Amino acid sequence: METRNRILSAFSEHLREHGKHPETVFAFCKQIELPERDFFREFASFEAVESQYWENLVDHVVQGVETGAEWQEFSAKQRLLSFLYAFCEAALDHRSLMLSRVAPLGPLAKPPFLRGFERRFRAFAKVVLEHGIAGAEVAERGRLAALYPDALYTHFRGVLDFYLKDDSRSYERTDAFIEKTVAVAFDLIRTQVVDSALDLARFLIPCREGNPA
Amino acid sequence: MAGTGVRVGVNYLKHYGKRAVGAHSDEDVLQTNNAAVVYDTFSRLKGGPLKLAQMLSIDRNLLPPAYATQFAKAQYSAPPLSYPLVVRTFRREFGKEPLQIFSTFSKNAAHGASIGQVHRASKDGREYAVKVQYPGVADSLRTDIRVLKPIALGVLGLKERDVAQYLEEIEARLIEETDYALELKRSQEISAQSTNLNNVRFPDYCPLWSTKRVLTMDWVDGVTLDKFADGPADQAQRDTIGQALWDFYEHQIHTLKLFHADPHPGNFLVKDSQLWVLDFGCTKQLDEGFYHKQFRFLDPTLTQDRTRFEAALSALDLVLLEDDSEKRARILALCENSIRLLATPFWSDTFDFGDVSFMQSIYEMGEANARQSQMQDLDGNRGSAHSVYVHRAYFGLYSLLNRLRARVKISLPEWIAAER
Repeated sequence: METRNRILSAFSEHLREHGKHPETVFAFCKQIELPERDFFREFASFEAVESQYWENLVDHVVQGVETGAEWQEFSAKQRLLSFLYAFCEAALDHRSLMLSRVAPLGPLAKPPFLRGFERRFRAFAKVVLEHGIAGAEVAERGRLAALYPDALYTHFRGVLDFYLKDDSRSYERTDAFIEKTVAVAFDLIRTQVVDSALDLARFLIPCREGNPA
Repeated sequence: MAGTGVRVGVNYLKHYGKRAVGAHSDEDVLQTNNAAVVYDTFSRLKGGPLKLAQMLSIDRNLLPPAYATQFAKAQYSAPPLSYPLVVRTFRREFGKEPLQIFSTFSKNAAHGASIGQVHRASKDGREYAVKVQYPGVADSLRTDIRVLKPIALGVLGLKERDVAQYLEEIEARLIEETDYALELKRSQEISAQSTNLNNVRFPDYCPLWSTKRVLTMDWVDGVTLDKFADGPADQAQRDTIGQALWDFYEHQIHTLKLFHADPHPGNFLVKDSQLWVLDFGCTKQLDEGFYHKQFRFLDPTLTQDRTRFEAALSALDLVLLEDDSEKRARILALCENSIRLLATPFWSDTFDFGDVSFMQSIYEMGEANARQSQMQDLDGNRGSAHSVYVHRAYFGLYSLLNRLRARVKISLPEWIAAER
């Protein structure tokens, strides 16, 4: 574990300083005086190290909010909001890296180095949604519900993108963005709007195929 | 008050004074549904646009009554801020969560304020009201106003040229309103200088837990002024509260020359026959020069001396240099009528604001003047922008007193008597 953390912190330091991965694992290992085999025992590549770095960030925030005094009383919506606000707060320590690594990609890109980040967020989102379904905050829709974590992840990336472009005082506009978009998201997944829209889509598509022009 | 004041703020009366006036045209009913929709849109946007619409509706008699009613509801029905965001704001402002500062803190807002909401908290046996501002309001206000101004003006059918200076004044006040640190300072100033007034009370403020975005003061249990007015209070109680309200405004305007410019019933509480004044978000400072120009109209002999009267009107840009003599005569007549009516309370020793005919006359004259000035091309950039908040304060005050059905003892400011 100690080696793993050593690699992670040296790697992130390099990334912050240079804005890109080191030339080779060999050079990197030489610099931090670590046998190459020790590196590869922990990580398969720099991509894997970076993925772990971003995953740790999400994990750190999730643990922070989940151990908060009021967490148990919170609704699913409040839990998601708490996470997003805490993430923005934690992001202050990582903003420079985000600006160089994440900001140029745009909200829809799925770079390999964000896989761990996505995985950890989805795991969190799944638990939040289950809590929401149990509390009748989120409508249970069978297979459609499987798309919710996707939707929430896309939203999360949208928030991150907004935050990275935000130049308001103390990023207050990001707060407003989170507040408003989460309100809309929960309005959508609570009501039947999505079902009705899909139902309409199902109705229209065969209709076009079945009626030769 | 200056002549054009009649038109200005009549919507305020239409809303708060509706009971007394009892005027309901068919158009009102037709517009109500529409208004609800428009209001809904504006209230979602929050902050700037909503306040702008509210101010326009109150200060310039610009919105049809039904719209004004809907906008006036804003104070009570803005959508709430989520608790996690309140926590976030606390962490940012104090580096601590609400429960690390207070021993209890309500998760839901006790009530809304136009650009924030109020939570109830307690610590060491003391109860607090904690006002938390919506995030981004201050930053987005200018942008919002710039984007929404054309839309608002379009909906209201106004020319920007005609209201430009009023909009500037309103924007300036709105931007001040987002600074709770300034509100704290003003609240403390005004309350410290108003301790001699009978039956007027102010909550204690807590500078320690106040910042630009959070304002903490003592919690006051009481009924809002509108509920008190509509409730079973007897005449003596009504007179007491009405007198307190009047004295408070006279003291602020004529002595401090710095006043609470938002006489909304939600900003006052009644408790044990005393008036509690809350929310100094919107205050207006009057400079000495403007103050004299504005209030010399209270001199009952002024309108009898045509030269002096005309000079007084020119000083406030109500009569302009380019006006020909025929136009001047029309404006003078219009203003004379308005002043005679509006200054009536000042020219009596005791005035009964419950008098329905007084409010009815103001309402009718406001309507008539609005129509007349449009027809006769008297609109445009007349009058002083500083008057906006003076008018707002007096119209608000008159309508609150009317709603209270209070009888109030009144005296003219001393300098007016002396000048005569």
